[in-house]
Parts: sequence; C-alpha cells; structure tokens
Amino acid sequence: MRTINQQILSSGAAQPLIEFKGVYKTYDNGTKALSDVNLRIDKGEFVFIVGPSGSGKSTFIKLIIHEEKLDAGEILVNGFKMSSLRKKEVPLLRRTMGIVFQDFRLIPTMNVFENVAFPMHVVGASKREIRKRVSYALNLVGLGRKARNLPRELSGGEQQRVGLARALVNKPSMIIADEPTGNVDPNMAYEIVDLLAEINRRGTTVLMVTHAHQLVRDFDKRVVMIETGHIVADNAGGVF
Amino acid sequence: MKARSVRYLIGEGLKNIWLNRMMSIASIGVLMASMLLMGIAIAFSENVDRVMSSIESQNVVMVFLEDELTDEQVQSVYEQIKSLDNINPDETTYISSNQALEGVLHEMGPEYEEYFNQYFEEGNTIMPETVRASMIDLEKYDQTVAAIENVEGVDSYNSSRDLAVILTTVRDAINTAGVWIIVLLSLIALVIISNTVRITMFNRKLEISIMKAVGATNGFIRFPFMIEGITLGVIASFLTVGVEYLLYKLAIKALDPIIKILGYNPVPFSNFMWIILLIFLALGIISGLIASIITISKYLRREGSEFSAL
Ligand SMILES: Nc1ncnc2c1ncn2[C@@H]1O[C@H](COP(=O)(O)OP(=O)(O)OP(=O)(O)O)[C@@H](O)[C@H]1O
Ligand SMILES: [Mg+2]
Repeated sequence: MRTINQQILSSGAAQPLIEFKGVYKTYDNGTKALSDVNLRIDKGEFVFIVGPSGSGKSTFIKLIIHEEKLDAGEILVNGFKMSSLRKKEVPLLRRTMGIVFQDFRLIPTMNVFENVAFPMHVVGASKREIRKRVSYALNLVGLGRKARNLPRELSGGEQQRVGLARALVNKPSMIIADEPTGNVDPNMAYEIVDLLAEINRRGTTVLMVTHAHQLVRDFDKRVVMIETGHIVADNAGGVF
Repeated sequence: MKARSVRYLIGEGLKNIWLNRMMSIASIGVLMASMLLMGIAIAFSENVDRVMSSIESQNVVMVFLEDELTDEQVQSVYEQIKSLDNINPDETTYISSNQALEGVLHEMGPEYEEYFNQYFEEGNTIMPETVRASMIDLEKYDQTVAAIENVEGVDSYNSSRDLAVILTTVRDAINTAGVWIIVLLSLIALVIISNTVRITMFNRKLEISIMKAVGATNGFIRFPFMIEGITLGVIASFLTVGVEYLLYKLAIKALDPIIKILGYNPVPFSNFMWIILLIFLALGIISGLIASIITISKYLRREGSEFSAL
C-alpha cells in the first residue's frame, strides 16, 4: 500500500496537504488580514510566500497551525478541517508539522542536543529513539559536533540550523517557517534555505515566508505572493 | 500518558523546584507555619483528652483546712467530712501539713527537694492541713462538694475538676482561634505557592510556547507544575512533622517539673505522628495542586501565541 502511494506521488498524481477555500480572516480590531484566499499546496512541494509588510503572510501561517481561527471559508491541513477543529485535536495537528521561528526560540539553559530532543519528549519517545533521531537531525544540519554546546555559543546561522533540526526531529509531514532567515546574515540565509531544500528533497513539504527576494529568485521554487490579504500571484520557477 | 512521559515530567517538575529555590523555600516556610499551628493544636487536644479521661475517673477532692486550728478542731473537721453523705470514710485520709510538703517535694524530684529542704528548715510549711476525701458516686459531685465547703473549719477545696474546666476552656479557645488562623495561613500558603508556580511558568514561557508548537497537550504542559506544587506540599509535611517532634520533646522537657507534680504522663508523639502526617500531606498536596492548576490553567487560557514574539 505504502509503495503504491509513493509511486503515485513520484508519478505526479499529487495529493493535497494544505487547501484554502475562500478563506477570510478579520482580527478583533477590524483589520482585514486575509480575503477570499484560495490555494492548494501538495505533498512534497516547496513553497515561498512573499509580499509586503502587513500583507497577511504571518496570518496565513497562523491559520495553518491553528493559532488563529478563520472567519469564513475552509482550510484543510493534513486531513484536519480547521473550521471545526476541536481544542483537543490541536496538539494532533501540530504533531504533523515542524515549526521554525524567526527568533530561533532555542531554550538557553539546554544544550543543542537537549533542544533538539525537546519535541521528542512531548511525544513520549524512548531514550534510544531520541538518541538516534537527534543525531540524525544534527548531522543533517551539519551540527553533529556541537551537540554539547549551549545556544549562546553558536552563531545566528548555527542557531537557526538547530531550530531546523528541532523542527524535523519528529518526522513531520511539513515544515512551516515564518522568515527563518530574518535574523541571520545573507550568506547564512542561503545555507538555511539549502537545508530546507534538502529536507524537501527527502520528502517533507516546506512552506517558507520570506522578504529575501534575491534568495527566492535563486532557488527556483513555487512562489505565492500576497498583497493586502489577497493572493496576487502564484508561479513556479522562482518568478514573482 | 506514557510511563516514560510521566517520568520525564516528574523530573522536570523537580528541576523547577530547584531552579526556583528561593520561592520554593518561601512556599515551604508558609506551608510549614500553618501546618505547625495545626499540629500544635492537635498535640494539645490529644493531651487534654488524656488528662480529662484520667480526671473523670478521679473521685478525690483535696480539702484544705483553715490555718490556726487546734489539733482537736482538725480532728473534728476530719470526722465531719467522713460522716458526710456520699463520702467513703474508709478511703478518706488526713494529711498533716508536713506530710503534704514532703509529698510535694518528693514528687518534684531530688534537685528541688534539697533546695526546698534548706528553705523550710525551721519547720515552716506553706502547705495547709489537708483531708483527702473520696467520693462514692461521682454523679453527686456538686452536692458533695457544697456539703464539704459548709463544714466549719474548711478553708477551700481543690479538685482536678477545676483543672479540667480550665483545660477544656483553653483547648476550645485554641481550637476556635486555631481554625481561623489555619484557614488564613492556608490561604496565604495558596497564594504563595501559586506565585511560586507562576514565577516558574514565566521562566518557562519559552518552553511552554515550544511545547504548544510541537503538539503538547495542556495536560502534558500542566503536569510538571502540578508535580512542583505537590512536592512543595509533601516536603513541607515531612519537615513539619520533624519540627513538631523536636518542639514536643522540648516542651515536655521544659514542663517536666509541673508534669511530675501533676503525676501526668504526656501522650507520646508517636501516638499522633501518623495522624498529623496524613493531615499535613492532605493539606499540602491539596493546596499545592489547587494553586498550580489554577495558575497554569489561567495562563494556558490566555496565552495562545506560539508564533508571535514572546
Ligand atoms: N493579533 C492581531 N490583532 C490585530 N491585528 C493584527 C494582528 N496580527 C496581525 N494584525 C494585522 O493584520 C495584518 C496582517 O498582518 P500579518 O502579520 O499577517 O502581516 P505580514 O505579512 O506577516 O507582515 P510582516 O511582513 O511585517 O511580518 C496587518 O495589518 C497587521 O497589523
Ligand atoms: Mg509576518
């Protein structure tokens, strides 16, 4: 069954992972953050979200992780219907995604290994699984040697790579990143996106919000552009 | 929740107590104060109950005669008392003032005996002539005592009943005041513990936001804080029992001369140790749990922002 699915995937019969159908979001203070957003992201895609400040990119992400609730329309994420998601299901939804933060959000008192292992404790993984998965993730981001270091002993780029390792340690079906390169210098930003591309090649869907336009052009991926709460462009090949 | 997760979360809760040790010590201190008051009230009650039951079985009234009675007058008073209704003449005895003094000194122990013997060398005595009257029927206590008082030459009487009245009054006062003090202290303990948990929570804000982002249930997030609250209560309980044990020992030592005079045998600490430990544990665990659950639930309801800046 599994191999058949994988064949379908690789043969191009795409399966939707995220679907927005006529989505509206207005904040309590009356700000219309998103209007009539329709979008489909398939399993295995790499998508950049771009647009001016205040256009609604973060709101788009917050609706996917169910930090904010939508007002009208429907969002499907990994089979979860966001309009009728019950409180108890939120943790289950979150376990299908790895979130990367702009400000890294590493716990300063924990070393690199412990930071990456943290989400595995939440799902009750065994010590053996934790050792195995954490070293896999750290090697993938090239930080196997720094497992015992504290976050403050790392550069910004390295800290964000720890953030990436933490996001993928529980084998999520998608990585969600809101300006993951916002706090690292431009060279490091390329490394981070390179890593995301590598993670994507290994089968994980990636959704990344960014302001770094040159970077988007260089990576040749699908680009969705949002302006004042509307999707105004949706192109392949790093074009926007 | 998996056993593995429970073990992990208990470890996290204990770690929190250590990382936040100043507040943890404050919480334990306040909890101990309220537990100790409760424990002292219980120790006192236990002893009063024991005194009471021994007093209630006592049918003896010590009757003190007026000073400056002649020997014949003393003898006459003694005979009159023996012939009263409800007095058992066979068990009623006369104690001369010297005998009374000797008895008291003897009961106080050798150190005191020597000291007082010097003082009373010239045949002085502070003790009056005494008749030890024994009753037949304790139900008729009041009438009998009234009859004794009416006998010419009787100055006063002393029965353990008076002591009983004093003791019960004191015990009841302590219990009423104690209940209010304990209620008040428990509320303070609740506030302090919830502040301790709140401080831990703010120190752990980042961790909580990451936990939520990676799909931790609220129960999972709450668990270490509950462990923190419960552990503070349990530590306070055991420490309080220890402290009360020492205080009780000291009190008995300090009151030793009086206790000996009264011929009283204090209730051993071990008799009520388990009861107070259980009460303390219940109080500690319940207040620790309530404080931590209220605090963390309030926080989890308000803070939903995993993505926004902290
Ligand atoms: N919690 C909120 N309450 C009220 N208004 C909000 C809230 N969050 C965002 N907004 C508003 O909604 C609009 C969209 O905000 P959003 O954060 O989605 O923009 P963005 O595209 O991520 O911007 P940036 O590039 O600066 O991060 C903005 O006008 C913003 O001020
Ligand atoms: Mg934003």
